[in-house]
Formats: sequence, structure tokens, C-alpha cells
Amino acid sequence: MADEALFLLLHNEMVSGVYQAAEQGEGENGRCITKLENMGFRVGQGLIERFTKDTARFKDELDIMKFVCKDFWTTVFKKQIDNLRTNHQGIYVLQDNKFRLLTQMSAGKQYLEHASKYLAFTCGLIRGGLSNLGIKSIVTAEVSSMPACKFQVMIQKL
Amino acid sequence: MAAPGDAPPPVVYTMENKPIVTCAGDQSLFTSVYPTLSLQLPREPMEWRRSYGRAPKMIHLESSFVQFKEELLPREGNKALLTFPFLHIYWTECCDTEVYKATVKDDLTKWQNVLRAHSSVDWLIVVIENDAKKRNKTNILPRASIADKIRNDFCNKQSDRCVVLSDPLKDSSRTQESWNAFLTKLRTLLLMSFTKNLGRFEDDMRAVREKRTEPGWSFCEYFMLQEELAFVFEMLQQFEDALVQYDELDALFSQYVLNFGAGDGANWLAFFCQPVRSWSGLALRKPIDMDKRELVRRREASLLDLRSYLFSRQCTLLLFLQRPWEVAQRALGLLHSCVQELRLLEVSVPPGALDCWVFLSCLEVLQRLEGCCDRAQLDANVAHTVGLWSYATEKLKSLGHLCGLVSEEGPDSEDLNRTVDLLAGLGTERPETANTAQSPYKKLKEALSSVEAFQKHYLDLAQASMDMYSSIGRTRSAKLVGKDLAEFHMRKRSPQKAELYLQAALKSYVAEGWALPVTHTRRQLAACQKLLGQLEDYLQTSSLLASDGHLTEDERRYFCQEVVSCAQRPPDSPGRRILLPLESFAQLRELSFRPAGGAVHVGGTLAVDVTLSSRMPAPVPLEQLGLRLHFSAARGPAQPRTSSPSPCPPPLAARGGSPAPELHAVLERSPSDGDGALASAGIICRNVHLLLRAPEPAPGPDAPTRLVLEDGPHALHREGLTLQPGDNLVSFQTQAAEPGTYTLRQLWASLGPVCFLLPRLPPPAQYDVYSQEPQLHVEPLADSLLAGIPQRVRFTVTTGHYTVKQGDSLQLSNVDAMLVLWDADRRASVYSSDREKTSDTTLRVQASDRVTSIGLPAAPAYHVIEFELDVLSLPSAPAASESIGEAARPPWTTQDAQGAEPRMATTDHKVSIDCPWSIYSTVIALTFSMPFRTTHALLSAGTRKYVQVCVQNLSDLDFRLSESCLLDTEGSADLRLVPLHTQALQRLHSRQTLFFVWELLWGRPPPPALQCRFSLGFTPDAQERAPVALRPYTYDFRLEGFFTLYTVCAEIRPPPGAEHCRTGALCSLEVAVTRLSDLLEADRDEALAQGQEQLPTRLLYEVVDNSSNWAVCGKSSGVFAMPVAARATHRVRMEVMPLFAGCLPLPDVRLFKYLPHHSVHSAQPDADSWIENDGVSVDRPADEDSGSVRSRGSAHPAGSGEHRGLPMPRLQALPPGQVFQASAGRQVLVLPSGDDHVLEVSVT
Amino acid sequence: MAVCVAVIAKENYPLYIRSVPTESELKFHYMVHTSLDVVDEKISAMGKALVDQRELYLGLLYPTEDYKVYGYVTNSKVKFVMVVDSSNTALRDNEIRSMFRKLHNSYTDVMCNPFYNPGDRIQSRAFDSMVTTMMIQVC
Repeated sequence: MADEALFLLLHNEMVSGVYQAAEQGEGENGRCITKLENMGFRVGQGLIERFTKDTARFKDELDIMKFVCKDFWTTVFKKQIDNLRTNHQGIYVLQDNKFRLLTQMSAGKQYLEHASKYLAFTCGLIRGGLSNLGIKSIVTAEVSSMPACKFQVMIQKL
Repeated sequence: MAAPGDAPPPVVYTMENKPIVTCAGDQSLFTSVYPTLSLQLPREPMEWRRSYGRAPKMIHLESSFVQFKEELLPREGNKALLTFPFLHIYWTECCDTEVYKATVKDDLTKWQNVLRAHSSVDWLIVVIENDAKKRNKTNILPRASIADKIRNDFCNKQSDRCVVLSDPLKDSSRTQESWNAFLTKLRTLLLMSFTKNLGRFEDDMRAVREKRTEPGWSFCEYFMLQEELAFVFEMLQQFEDALVQYDELDALFSQYVLNFGAGDGANWLAFFCQPVRSWSGLALRKPIDMDKRELVRRREASLLDLRSYLFSRQCTLLLFLQRPWEVAQRALGLLHSCVQELRLLEVSVPPGALDCWVFLSCLEVLQRLEGCCDRAQLDANVAHTVGLWSYATEKLKSLGHLCGLVSEEGPDSEDLNRTVDLLAGLGTERPETANTAQSPYKKLKEALSSVEAFQKHYLDLAQASMDMYSSIGRTRSAKLVGKDLAEFHMRKRSPQKAELYLQAALKSYVAEGWALPVTHTRRQLAACQKLLGQLEDYLQTSSLLASDGHLTEDERRYFCQEVVSCAQRPPDSPGRRILLPLESFAQLRELSFRPAGGAVHVGGTLAVDVTLSSRMPAPVPLEQLGLRLHFSAARGPAQPRTSSPSPCPPPLAARGGSPAPELHAVLERSPSDGDGALASAGIICRNVHLLLRAPEPAPGPDAPTRLVLEDGPHALHREGLTLQPGDNLVSFQTQAAEPGTYTLRQLWASLGPVCFLLPRLPPPAQYDVYSQEPQLHVEPLADSLLAGIPQRVRFTVTTGHYTVKQGDSLQLSNVDAMLVLWDADRRASVYSSDREKTSDTTLRVQASDRVTSIGLPAAPAYHVIEFELDVLSLPSAPAASESIGEAARPPWTTQDAQGAEPRMATTDHKVSIDCPWSIYSTVIALTFSMPFRTTHALLSAGTRKYVQVCVQNLSDLDFRLSESCLLDTEGSADLRLVPLHTQALQRLHSRQTLFFVWELLWGRPPPPALQCRFSLGFTPDAQERAPVALRPYTYDFRLEGFFTLYTVCAEIRPPPGAEHCRTGALCSLEVAVTRLSDLLEADRDEALAQGQEQLPTRLLYEVVDNSSNWAVCGKSSGVFAMPVAARATHRVRMEVMPLFAGCLPLPDVRLFKYLPHHSVHSAQPDADSWIENDGVSVDRPADEDSGSVRSRGSAHPAGSGEHRGLPMPRLQALPPGQVFQASAGRQVLVLPSGDDHVLEVSVT
Repeated sequence: MAVCVAVIAKENYPLYIRSVPTESELKFHYMVHTSLDVVDEKISAMGKALVDQRELYLGLLYPTEDYKVYGYVTNSKVKFVMVVDSSNTALRDNEIRSMFRKLHNSYTDVMCNPFYNPGDRIQSRAFDSMVTTMMIQVC
């Protein structure tokens, strides 16, 4: 469990670090999200490479998304995605009712305005993972009541 | 692998031999039944249960019925299975006992004995019943009795070995039944026999195999043995099983070969190691290649023979199994492994022999497949066959090389010999292909026959395999074959054919970023293009190669040289330019302007510095290096632009580059509740549309971008420079001509007709040329100019586009309050636009009383002339009116007033200057500030008067002060001003204050007012002798009513009895106001106001104690009349109570002139003040300074204001000089009241 | 014992390619590049493949007279191609498979190396030496 705690704390520090840097005027605040997302992207790439090392090859897109929701999520956040929905048009919505990176904040609407900081990295994580699996995508997120949150994956049709 | 189900079944070569069944007994009878029998037997399948737990099979049985002969029965030890009789049937239709007894029985017995002798137990006796026969017989036995007899005579305890077949030739239900029964029996028995005999056979076989390690063991023998089994399975149409047999043999053999390679060779293998003598490929047309089989049997087969035979069998069976594509695949594997095995066994093979063998085999297999599949199938399964095609092509190619058929000058004698040998090895064509036109044999023979034929065949093959590859989307493979073709064409000196293939291949390699193939192919392409004389392309390719790091230094140099030399060659058509992309030649690393910012004035020079890194391995002499400019007259802003194009990234890094998502955090407030609480937070992407758009195919790096060398009037050149390998700094100088914006468009480097062109500069770099109006600036050197002493100002003339000629001058219209000073050795210096001094001349200045004209030195356009002059602004006293305000201020308080840094008084001087370049004169304003701030004060001691002048130096300079003097400008008689300060010249340091005091002495009654002028000579302490006689500093002021009329003397006494005042105890305050003089000029006016007779002046006193040390009891102010006579005194008493203990200053007593309302002078009542003060209006200064009183000048604040309604009494402050506070500064000791516990001490 | 080992990016450009002997380098480059055809074929075929054929190891891509070319594709569509000398018959499928596994392992390490950014040529010494062991090691 220590590793998990470590990840959570590290992540918090990273977020605050990025935002402090922005305070000192390196890059305006809007970039922070992007910055975090990019970090996530790189991490995702590396992670997926590891995680898929011993898995069978994926049948299709959906197969991959399932992997992300199950194995990937479990390895990173110690739980599965609670609900995966798709329109079969390349849009997937991953719902996590108890998102690890938010749980340690107080539940409900307190700190809600800060929530997005804590989702950016994960958005990147997903995007990076998918891109390494050959799927170009855009990942956005939404929280209405912590610690539940939704990630939306829009896949670029090639 | 299996062919698609819908495809028609392949042609099956049914084997002629079937399981043998012998027939004994009545032959004619058998022949009569035979047709039906042979027809009926296979009709229904029968399940065959197998030994060794093999899956049961349904079998359609067939058999060949032969007449029973004893020699058919196998001798001991004969393992032959094919010829093995699996069942023996005895036929009879005997129906009467006599006949039976007489003949049949004996016959049967003999038959059985023979069988028994050969211990064969698979037999059957068939009795046929015929009603027809019976009819014409007399002694009829009951039906089937014969059968019964036979049963108990022969079939002891296996009665089922005798069956009755009744009326076989009729068709009735009975007949049917008996037939069915019979057939079933027959099949069952056959299968039983199979099972038994095959089982036995397999056991024997296995036993043999176990012996394989023993010395005598022979593979061929074993081969024959197991093949027997295979045959039988095949005979039973159990192709699967048959195939298994062959595969086992195959595996076994391969294993042996491997082991041999690993070291332990079985001696029988040695035989297969005999040198290869015949290489007439595979033969797959016959189901069994008997003569090869024979070779094997006789142990004379070479490895190739064995392999060929084995494969032909596998092939046949696979075709039976309708798995043609497996054939193709196995074939490829086989060919490869054969080659390997021959190597492994170190079998000596004549050069080319294997190639022939492989070539023939490939074609054989392919043709075999074509033989049994239709086009559609073939096309659908190209993926399986294409391997063979390309293999064949490869082999043919190498054969071609071997036999000297690819070189343009045909084969030489030894090539021919070799060819002959090879053909010899083919032997004669096999009969089965003899009359097929395109047989592999014929093809090969033909191909090797002549250069042309070879070319034709080779091209056909290559083309074929290429098309197949591309048809199944194996483009890369196709390209590779294409490259072989290209090489071939090159050898045949037909580059035009080669070029396309090379281009195609190159394209794909470049597109997929495979450096080495790119280099290699490019080199071939270069050769090709050179042959084709495609100068342009060749040069481009060469330049690319020259810059290719994968080539050796020498090669690079070579190609570099190619480019250069070709450039030096005189162009075939004059004026023709060869445009090549620059990237291949050099790379634009950096580009910058001097002056940085890239803005230059008309006529100025601008340098464009270009860092060009040459990719050539050797120095390249350039004829010209040029920058094409685009000029737009629109005056763009001249912001600094320095562009450094990033060296273009490798094409593939760029490929991944899609726009990054722009993410933003969003907060969504719920509109429902008013306070707009957060509904949700999230991250959105702003440029989804950009990202989700399907990526447009990025053009390949070598996408044919049309190079166009723009032409236009504007360009920068450098001629005849040499590019060294690596970075070169080239700077282009240009003289800026017409103003506007110049955009750098193209960069080209030309050597002869060759011109390397960068069609677009990566970032738009541009510089601006502007023209500027001439200007004159005049600014002081110091931050502020001081009046009164010479001050230096700098004149700066920016010539702009105007050229200053000799004799041009600036005309300053003089201002009398300001002098322009200069001395002979003033110099004017001229600077170029980038601040370097060009000339330095003395300045010519003439001055008339009106103007000062300054001769400018000649200066070219866009230069700067600078010179300095001194100006002197005459010091003038500022209006001193309010300075009397200081009057009563005690000197010590003036000091701390300095705390609030007073600002210097300033005066502006406008000078209009006529400049040679314009008809309008420029007006410049110079602001001078007074270094000093002067205040004066009138001090009184009783009736004696002193004038104090306080000079404060506000500037940062130190001054030397001389002849200070104060004089009464009216010059009234016998009024003397006696200076009490030292006369000697003094220093006044910066921020210092100096006081001068004069005593005022007079004889006769003095005038009511004095007009004074204070004057002070001063020079800056720093410089010795001022250049000009400096005017002294003057300060005018006026003293009014300076003569003392009244003294006010206040006194506080302790209450009677006490000798000290005590806090809280009432004391008496006595104020005595005494008039000192008779009527004077000073207060003449009031007196006049009262008419001639002397009315006493009415005064108002007021006791104020704003330090609130005292509580004044009773009325603190009152009006009283003071007779206008000397020594007249008025006393007022009142009660005051000290509030604190200690030495307390007395409360102030103020004295005012009281003017009743009916007095004429109350003509201008002061409504405001009336409203402010109850009853009486007091011209009371806002600040409660003790005894500070307004000067006369400001006595009527709203004096000039319009008349107001109701008249009312007024108070008028007395001029400071007129009242003398005798008791000012006196203090009274107050003791704390005895009964006070706490002692309050207030220090004031 | 491999004579050539190559790592090829999603976009089919070589991330890493090494071969012995070096003089026949070019030949191997061509060979590997061509083998991509088969890799693509197999991958696309895999699309409709059954579960059991969803192994990362693609098996023998194609044999030539002298070499056998094997393939392997990671889930991230990075391809590994290994060329083996045909005479080296001792090498069985399983050895090849395990060699690919090793390759994959150290590739993942490369991916997680902060000094490597995905898509670049692989310079990592560790990876290089691992490949070396494959090339000299006789299975």
C-alpha cells in the first residue's frame, strides 16, 4: 500500500509544484493543466508498455478500452473503472465513483474548483497509454461531486 | 490452409490397386454376381474401429476380386501388403446333396487346407440359391440345407463364415435383403482382416524402427516398409494416415541429417552424401514416381532423389486431401531445407546445379497446382505461391549470372561450358511433360539457351512475382524484386527501365525512413540517372549522396566532385538553370540582421548574416550566393526580428507531430441557485476539431515541390565565395535604398548552371528601411538648470535625411532674461548613426543683440551633431509677499520647517530656433530653477526692530556668497540698516540655510511701510572665477507697520497667601496692554476714520491657551478702548487655573483691532466669517500659530468680494511689528496641589 | 543465435537495428524491411483471429534459403524482427520466443528511461548489450 500512498502524495506535490511554478510566472495558468496532462502522457506511454507486456494482443478498440478500465486502472488506482459506456462512434465515458486521486480530499463540493488540477495528469495518463497502443485520442474529465468523476475519451478516427 | 469449400474437388489420381479378395469355387457363378457385387460393395460406408486408440473411420470399401491361386498367398516373412489377399471367398450354388458330396465338399476341403497351410483365417463361403434351378430338380432338399451342411462340415463354431445369397439376379425384396446381409458380412470381415493384418504389420514395422541404431539398419529398407503401410492407407483412401506415414519418414530423415551435422552420422547416410549428378527438379505429375521409388528401393537414390520422391508422395496425398496450398508452403520449406541439408552433409554440388533443381522444382509445384486449381483459386491464394515465384526468379537470376547471360557482352566460352554441364544434369525431359509446351524443363533449357531468351524469361518471372506481391499488398517485397529488376536492366545497359523501379523503391525507403537502403538505392539511382543523362536529377541525387553520412568519405567526395565538375561544364543550352533543393546541399542554420532588429535608415548599410552549414564533404566554390527579397513600400514597424530556423527535424519525428490538445479547466456554475454554486469542475479541450480531424497524409520528404526561382529587382548577392564543410557565416551588405519592408524570400547558391534553391525561408524574416526628418534636441546636462549661474546644455541635431552643408547655422532668437554663453574653444562633434565619432570641429558662434547664430559643421545625412553651450538665466527674486508670514516665527522653528523639502522656484525661458532644414522655427523651453529660497522676518525687542533674512540653498551645489546687502528702496531719510552679521564672504553649502540680520534704526517717526531689497552676490563654489560677471541674487520685500504700538504683558500670580501656584487652584492672570506712542502714520488711517478728534482705538483681547495648560475661568476675551496716547495702559484681570504642575508657559494673549459695524470701513462685511464665528468675524489665520497674524496684504481675504447685506463689526489683526509680546516665553512655576495623590507633570 | 535484431516503430521506421557480420548489414536492412510485409499481413489477419492466436509472438515470418526471419509485435505496435541463420537448426520456436520476451523486457525498460523519448532511435547501452548477448549466445 505504501507505493500507492507514495503515488498519491507525489501526485499532489507535482500538482502544487506545477501551479507554484505558474505563480512565479513561468507560463500562464492555463498551461498548467496542459503541462500536467503532458506529464501524464509520457508516464502513460511508459506504463502501458509495461502493463501490456504479458497480455495477449488486443482484438479491437473496445478490447483496449476494457483493458484500460480493468487492468490498467487497477494497477494504477487499485480499483477498476466502475462504468464504461460508449456510443460505438469512438467516444467512451469512463466513470470512476471513487477516484483515488480525489478521495483524499473531502467529498462533495468542497474544493470542487480545484478538482480539475487533480484530473489533468490522469487524462494524460489515459491519452498516453492509448496513443502508445496506436489510438490517437483526446481525454477530458468532469467532476460534479467528488470523489466520483468521469473521463471522456474521444478517439481520432484514422 | 485447405482450399475453400466451394472450390471443385481436385483431380484425384485413384490408385489402380484395391485390397485383394480371392475367389474360389464356381467361377462362372462369381462372374455372374460380380457386377452387382463390385457395384454394391462401396455403396455404403462402414465404420472401421482401429487399434491403438485411433479414431474410428467410415470407409467405403472396394476390392479387386481375383481368382484364388495358391501362389497369391504370402510366403513366410513376405511383408508386402499391397499384394496381400485380405479375404478368400468360396462361391457355390450347389443345391443337391449328391453333387455336394460328390464334388463341392472335396473342393472346399482342398481350399481350406491350402488356406490353413498359410495360416490365413480370413475366408468366407457363399452359397447362392436359385429358385429357377430348383424347379427342374426332382429330389428337393429343404431350403438352405446345403448351407447347413457346409456349416457343420467346415465352419466349426464360426457359423457366420457361411452366408446364403438368394436369387442375386432377381430384384425382389428378398433378394435385396439377402444382398444387404451378404454385403454387410463381407465388409465386416474385410475390416476385421484389415485390422488384424495392418496391426500385425505396424508392429513389425515398429520393431524394425527400433533397430535403427544398429549398424546394419538401412533407411531405405525401412522407408519401403513404412511406405507399404502408407500405400494401404491410401488404398483405403485414408490419405490422412498415409500422409502421416510419409511425414514420419520425412521427420526421421531430417533428424538423421541434423544429427549428422551434429556429429554422429549414421553410416547409411554416407550414401546420400554422394555428389549430386542429376538435378531434374521435382516430379509431381505421377501419383507414384516409380523409377525414383526404384532408386530408393535399390538404395541408389541421392538425397535429392529421396527428397523429391518423398515430396511427390506428400504432394499427391495433400492434393487428395484438397490442401493444395499446403503443398506450396511445404514445397518452399522443402527446397530451403534441401539446400541446407546438402550443405550440412557437405555434398559436392556442381555450381548452379542446385539453382536448376530449385528453379525446376518451383515451377513444377506451381504448374502442378495450376493443374488442379482454377484461376480464381490461384489468384485467391497468391499469398501461398508467391514465395515460390520469387524463389524461382532469384534462382534464375543467379543462373543467369553464372552462365554470363546478364552481362551485355553475352556469355563467354567457359560460361557456355558451364551451361552445357548444367543442362546435362537435367537429363532428358520426362515423358509426362514431354508434350506440355511450358514445362519447367523446357523453360529452363530455353532460358539458358540465349541471352535474349533468358532476359525474356527472367523478366516474365520477375514481373509475375512483382505483380503477385503487389496484388497481395506486399509492397515492400514487390519493391525489392523491382530493385533486382533494376539491377538487371542496369547490367543490360537499359537504365530507362531501371529508373522507375529504383525511384519507386527509393520513395518507399525514404518514406519509411530506412537510411541504409535509401543510401544504397540512391547510389544505384545516381548511376542510372548518369547513364540516362538526366543532369538535373543526377545532380540532385549526387548532392544528396554527397551529404549522406552513411557513405564513405571518398564516395561523398566523389559525388561532391560530380556536382562541382558538372557545374563547371559549360551548359548545353546557355541560360538554362538547373534548380535543386538547397537542403541536400546545405542547411540554413541561422539568419540575423546587423543592426539587430533589422531596421535601417535610407542610405544606411544593413548586413544580413546567414549561417549556412554546408553538408558537402569538401569545400565548394560558389559562383553566387543570393537572397531574394520581396519589397513592399508599406512602412512596417521596425521591431527587432532575428530568426533562427531550427534545423529541419527528421521526417519521421515530424510525422508523429500532431497538434497538442489545448486543455483548460472549466468550472460550471449551476444557474438554478442564485449564489451560482459550483455544479461541476472539469477539463475540456479547446481544439477538438483540429485534433479529431483525420490526419491529412503528410507529403513525403521528397514530395516533388516545384522549385521556382523567383526573380525580381530586389536581391542580395555574394559572388565567388567558397563554402567550407560545416557552418559558414556569410554576411550580405546592402545599402538601404527606398524606404519600406524587405522580406527575405529565397536563398540560392549557384555554381554555373546549377542553382541550389531554398524556395521559402522557414520563418519570414524581414527588415525595414525608413527615412527620418531632421530634428533638434536641446537638453540640460544636469537634471535641472540653475538660474543665476552658467549652466551647460547639449544641442543635438539629428540630421535625418538632411545633409548639413558648410555654413548652415542655427539662429537662436535671444531672450533677455537668458544669455547664451560660449567660449572660443567649444567643439561640435559629428556622430554616425551607430554612434561612432566621425568629425570634431570648433563651433562658430556669432551673436548680435537679436540673435545668436551657431554655425553647424557639415554633416552627412543620418548623422548626429552634438555640441554644448552654456546658458545663464538671470536670477530674479520671486514674489516675496507671503514671506512675511514667517515674521513672527521664532528662528528655531524655521529650521524644522526645512524638513518638508521646499521646492525650488522655477522660471521658464522659451527660445525659438531657426533650423536650416525648415522654414518653421523650433521653440524649445528651458526651465531654470532658483538655487535659493529666501524668507525674511521682522523681529522686535520692545521698540527695537531687526530684519532677518534667511537664505536657504536648495541646490546640490555649494556657493560662495559675497556682498550681502539690504537697502530700503524708498530710501527714506535717516533710516539705517545696521548689519549684525559678519560681512565677510561666506560659504553656503548645499541644503544649508544662512541668516542675515540687520537692526533697523531711525530717528523721526518712521514710515508705516518699508520697501526693502536684499541682494547677494554668489558664485558656485566649485569653479573659480565665473566666465561672466554674474548678477547678484536679489530678493525684494516689504515691511509694514513695523513700529511697535502696543506691548502686551501678562502675569500670573498665585492666589493671595500662597507663594506658588498650585494645580487646581485659581490664580489671577493680569494682562496689561500699553500703548507706546502717540498717533503715528502707522495707525493714521483708523484715526482718520474717526474724524479729526482723537477717538480711542478699540481693541479686542483674547486669551487662548491652546496647549491647554490653563483653564481660563470667566470670559477670555473682551473689547476695550485704548486712548491714542503714549503710556496709555489697559489692564484686564481674570482667573485661570493651572491644570498641570510644572513650569507652564503663560497662555497667549492676542490683540485685535476692533472695528464696530457702523464704521465706514465695515463697508465690506465678511459674510463667510460672520457665519463661521458667532457675532464677530475674525480674520484668524487657519493655523493656530501663537501670535501669527495675517499680513495686511491678505487682511481682506474676500476683500475684493462683492458687497454683502448686513453690516457687522470686524476684527482686524494688527501687523506683527505693532504688538510686542513682552511676556512671550515666560513661564510660571506650578506646584502640584498637596492633596493630589498622583503627581502629574506635563512637560511643554 | 540471431544474426540480426531489429526494433521497428509503429510507423515502420527502424528504432534499432543491429546485425552481424556488419558487412552484410545492408542485406539485413533490406530483409527486415521486407519482412514488415508479412508482419503487417499477420497483424491484420490477427484482427479476425481467434483468442489463441493472439500471442505477441508472430512466429516465422518467412524463411529464405539461408535465414529464417521471425517476428514479434508488442501491443504498442512496435515490431521486433529477428533473423536467424538457417543452418542454426538447433534453434527451436521456444528459444526464439524467449529471446523475443527478453527483447521486449528491455525495450520496456528503454521506454521507461527518462532520457529516451518515444519514437527516437534507441541509443541505450543496456539495450545494446542485451542484444549483443542474443547475438553471440548459442542456443
